[in-house]
Amino acid sequence: MKDCENISESMGRWLDGELSPAESESIRAHVAQCAACREAQRKLEKLQLALEGALMAESKSIEFEPFWRAVQLRIAEKRTWYEDALDWSRGLFTASRAAWAIPALIALLLAVASLESYFPGWRGGAGRNAFAAVDSIDAHGRNVALLREYDSKTTVIWLYEDQEGENETAEEPPPPGPAF
Amino acid sequence: MELSDRELVQKCQTGEMSAFEELVSRYHQKVYMVILGLLRNREDALEVAQETFFRAYRKINSFQGGSSFYTWIYRIAVNLAIDAQRRQKRNPLDFRESMDGLLESQDEVARDPFADVHDKELRQNLTNAINDLTPEHKAVIVLRTIEGLSYKDIGEILGCSEGTVMSRLHYARKKLQDKLSAFL
Ligand SMILES: [Zn+2]
Repeated sequence: MKDCENISESMGRWLDGELSPAESESIRAHVAQCAACREAQRKLEKLQLALEGALMAESKSIEFEPFWRAVQLRIAEKRTWYEDALDWSRGLFTASRAAWAIPALIALLLAVASLESYFPGWRGGAGRNAFAAVDSIDAHGRNVALLREYDSKTTVIWLYEDQEGENETAEEPPPPGPAF
Repeated sequence: MELSDRELVQKCQTGEMSAFEELVSRYHQKVYMVILGLLRNREDALEVAQETFFRAYRKINSFQGGSSFYTWIYRIAVNLAIDAQRRQKRNPLDFRESMDGLLESQDEVARDPFADVHDKELRQNLTNAINDLTPEHKAVIVLRTIEGLSYKDIGEILGCSEGTVMSRLHYARKKLQDKLSAFL
């Protein structure tokens, strides 16, 4: 009985080929002499087959030619300047793996903030007591830099990732520019 | 001789459009299926599938080959599909309609896995059962079903651990089995 419970837990992994040869063998041996587990196996296989049937059949209706034409059309569409800028900045961060880009950005923003305190009104804005603070937070592998500029009550939140290589790829932009 | 995905990607990176075309022809149906499994209707799925390849084209230079092309393209597809689903929150009927159509079109396929009446009920109820899964659970079931991808690949695509893939898959199958127990 205990065995059957364990087997039902691992049945999916077994059929998916995700168990070690030794584990697979022990399950196979049990299933061979246990009718209840054979029934469970049959049901799981039938479910899987039903899913495959449902999903696979449809894919044949998608012809390549019109699909490819639509993709090409999309590629040929005129791009806006900010899309180019976004791509450029994304490339910058990939290239540098954000190692220096974020500190550089923060330094730049700080410079802007302090510039304002030296030259009140250079940006046409309010002058005195400009003060900025930067925090960096690591949240679930994602890094967040916070810059608070109290005088203008501006908070800049910057999300970035510093994991290896291609992780940026599919993720939709953690806003690739500072979000004011 | 047929070029590997990796070789095609390298050609794309030097600007060879025909190499990208070849990649699209290799994966457009599978990408579409992954998305259709997640979304509620065919038109949306087709649009998101085309968007997926468009994004891939734009990002191809940042693809470094640490993972395989298919995990990369599926990851883009899944993220766009989940985004689209969250944005739209359409009428749940849409999915049922599209899945019914989907299941009808299956009749035209020579190897029909639903031969008898009992199995017809299974396919009708499968639609609703899939529909009730969360996007996360749908995603693991669909990726496993379409490509027979390893848990490791699925984890890479969805940005979660193999353990998470395993438990989601187990849960999703259990849910489907419970709902369909009368027809299995
Ligand atoms: Zn047993």
